[in-house]
Amino acid sequence: MMRITVCLLAVFSFLLAATPQADAAGGKELYSFYCAQCHGVGGKGDGPNVTKDMPVTPRNFTNAAEMNKLSNADLKNVIIDGGPALSKSPMMPPWSKTLTDKEVDALIKHLRVLCKCKGK
Amino acid sequence: MVTWKRTVSVVSVFAFILAANGMSWADAAAGKKVFKAKKCGGSCHYTKGPAREKTIADQKKKKGPELWYAGSKFQKEWMAKWLQDPKPIRPLAFNSLTKKNPGNHPKLSGGDAANVTDYLMTLTSKDVKAGVIKPKKNPKGKLIFMKKMPCSGCHQYPFKKKISGGMTGPSLVGAGKRLNPDWIYAYMVNPKVFKPVKIMPVFKGLLKDKDMKNVSAFVASFK
Repeated sequence: MMRITVCLLAVFSFLLAATPQADAAGGKELYSFYCAQCHGVGGKGDGPNVTKDMPVTPRNFTNAAEMNKLSNADLKNVIIDGGPALSKSPMMPPWSKTLTDKEVDALIKHLRVLCKCKGK
Repeated sequence: MVTWKRTVSVVSVFAFILAANGMSWADAAAGKKVFKAKKCGGSCHYTKGPAREKTIADQKKKKGPELWYAGSKFQKEWMAKWLQDPKPIRPLAFNSLTKKNPGNHPKLSGGDAANVTDYLMTLTSKDVKAGVIKPKKNPKGKLIFMKKMPCSGCHQYPFKKKISGGMTGPSLVGAGKRLNPDWIYAYMVNPKVFKPVKIMPVFKGLLKDKDMKNVSAFVASFK
């Protein structure tokens, strides 16, 4: 009985430990694929689409002071429904039909890694 | 005598049709051989559908766009010219956010280009219905493309005699000569059939069908 409990505990703790890591890696991969084209690989808002024709400057995710003003729910809204969800530019696309809820959550985790901040 | 003459002309018309069909088959078959001999397939362009990509890693492995629906996507005349003088369509190298498109796509001779074009035009998709979109500069399509949706953030397009727009999508300058207008709409409506994993957002479900038609007609009007 004791052995089974130990085994179960080991399995659960492994799952708990493994999940956030898997999400974090997924978030980085998703970010590099979808977001970096405008927000830059390092998140400074300097992706290749930022040319003289871009009417707005994409958010700099490394700016902790600005990123702290946004809650995770704000980030989720803007990723899902696009810039206008936060009264920002429609240049930020709505990703609701592209990304799953889980992928959006993984992205938000990665944004918090980039800003080294927790948000409000 | 008259009947005899008529028979001869009917027979010659049939012979001509048969020869023409035979020629066109021969061209496509020759084009397929050239495509294989020049190693256009493999890691650069796959030609057998349906779409294979399931993950971001699958998409990143590709060195060039898939061509399994090339006959539905491109215009024949454009393709025959482009294969002889392949100028970059994407400002950046395929799958890169940092490297400029080196513009090093292999060139084909006129004959090879015509044959490869005939071959690629045989690669079609049942999801592209003909005759739905007529190219048209329409104000609703323009408003969506330029203001309501972020299309111009990633795609270059002709604007006031200049080129405007972003870098990561294929350029839409000359899209009216390059793309089949019906493919643009089919891609908007059913993007995952053609590109299951891509950096462009899915707009199906966000734009009304009528608006997807308007945007497609607007893009198809780009010179």
